[in-house]
Amino acid sequence: MELTQVRYFVALSRTLNFTRAAEVCNVSQPALTRAIQRLEEELGGALLFRERNLTQMTELGRSMLPHLETMLNAAESAASLAEARRRQPPSTLKIGLGPGIAAGAIAFAIREVASILPDLAVRFEEAGPAALAEQMLADMLDCALLPADCELPERLNHWPLYEERAIVVVPSAHPLAGRQSITAADLLGETLLLGERCGGFAGRIGPESGLQFRLRRCGGSWAHLLDLVGAGLGVAILSERLAIPAPLIACRLGEPDMTRGIELAAVAGRPQGPAVSGFIKLCRARRGKAFGLS
Amino acid sequence: MDLQARLDAERARRLENETVRAAYEETVTTLRRNGFLPSVLAEETLFPDFVLPNTEGRLVSLSSLLARGPVIVQFFRGEWCPYCRIMLDALVEALPEIEALGASLIALTPDTGPWVQEAKTTHGARFDVLSDVDCGVGLAAGVVFRVLPLYLARLQAVGIDFPDRHGNDAWFLPMPALFLLDRDGRIAWRFADPDFTRRATPEQILAALRALDPPG
Repeated sequence: MELTQVRYFVALSRTLNFTRAAEVCNVSQPALTRAIQRLEEELGGALLFRERNLTQMTELGRSMLPHLETMLNAAESAASLAEARRRQPPSTLKIGLGPGIAAGAIAFAIREVASILPDLAVRFEEAGPAALAEQMLADMLDCALLPADCELPERLNHWPLYEERAIVVVPSAHPLAGRQSITAADLLGETLLLGERCGGFAGRIGPESGLQFRLRRCGGSWAHLLDLVGAGLGVAILSERLAIPAPLIACRLGEPDMTRGIELAAVAGRPQGPAVSGFIKLCRARRGKAFGLS
Repeated sequence: MDLQARLDAERARRLENETVRAAYEETVTTLRRNGFLPSVLAEETLFPDFVLPNTEGRLVSLSSLLARGPVIVQFFRGEWCPYCRIMLDALVEALPEIEALGASLIALTPDTGPWVQEAKTTHGARFDVLSDVDCGVGLAAGVVFRVLPLYLARLQAVGIDFPDRHGNDAWFLPMPALFLLDRDGRIAWRFADPDFTRRATPEQILAALRALDPPG
């Protein structure tokens, strides 16, 4: 299929009027009609049907539209990123981070976008999945990293990026600090800090190990939780991807082996600026075990 | 054995299976009947500039490659495709000669993540393998088509999961076309065939490269 055929079809899906679509695309109506016919031949059926003055999408048209729109956006963003590389316009990247998710894993992609768009400004927003989804739909965020198990509105596309394991964070003077690997049983008698925005590992260890733990609830981010670990209020169970500042120590949790998937989400079908599309493509191209690890 | 002979032998072996043969014939005859080739960017036209990610987490721009000399843009379907695997081996082998003629080579696939990494590492490719995420550059080059029903059923039956590989459930694929771009980004030579078991051979590529005007 051809770029122009897809462009004309997407324009027609918005106007549902051949004359107006031809005007929007700056072509003659017969040229637009011919292009649509060729696309229909290739896709094996009518994409639109015409009844007197009314143009409507067929079922095939409706089912193909999101795919063709996505591909058209990908074509335009590959070209606009090349154009932006020459002109270097100021750009922004607004990224949501779900509970207990570090920005470290995506730093490589931000660095790469900044290397071709030096005037890049970056903003992070930490919040729960529902709030981040709402902000993406309201166009206040470009994309977000979210836990794979959260429910998202249908209008959001999401792609798995990586899996992360749980670690246990203790003060350096803690008896467990020197251990290579610890188990849930080693944590009996400890107070586990249960943060609402810290990834949910602390809430899972009881049910997954079959043991009962003393929990202390803490609102706030994982950074606040680490402050409390440092002050001796308990130990934290967080993602291995978070950078744990000295003098705190991260120990591998051998048993139970808790992991969670992290996905990248963005609004489906929304045209993105070069910085955002470059960032999302970099993340999707690199997803997998080694994601964000140098 | 040269590349096309190896591809022919692979096709002959695989088409002994009736289901594979029906899926292959459906694809090739439909694309030929639909007049697919005129959609593909023609010789003498300018290949649109693009930026795509490679397997190392870097963005690769066509124009920065063109600044160094001619560029060969090879579309391929993915490491899952036996004909693409044979072709990638041949390209790896031909790379020193391609580079000796001052050109660079990039291979574009709609696969993402571990699937595109696999293509790069399995063949020990020194050239960049780029993720053409959502087939955008393939669309701009006119090489994308929607996988036909028998072929789709065949892929699903053997567990080749495009939604996972591509990160979308559109079931689009590029025809494995090759474009040789001169320093200005103009298509000096192209190879495109609706029969995905036919590929540009290293001999054809090198001959086309040698036929380019020397830098003035």
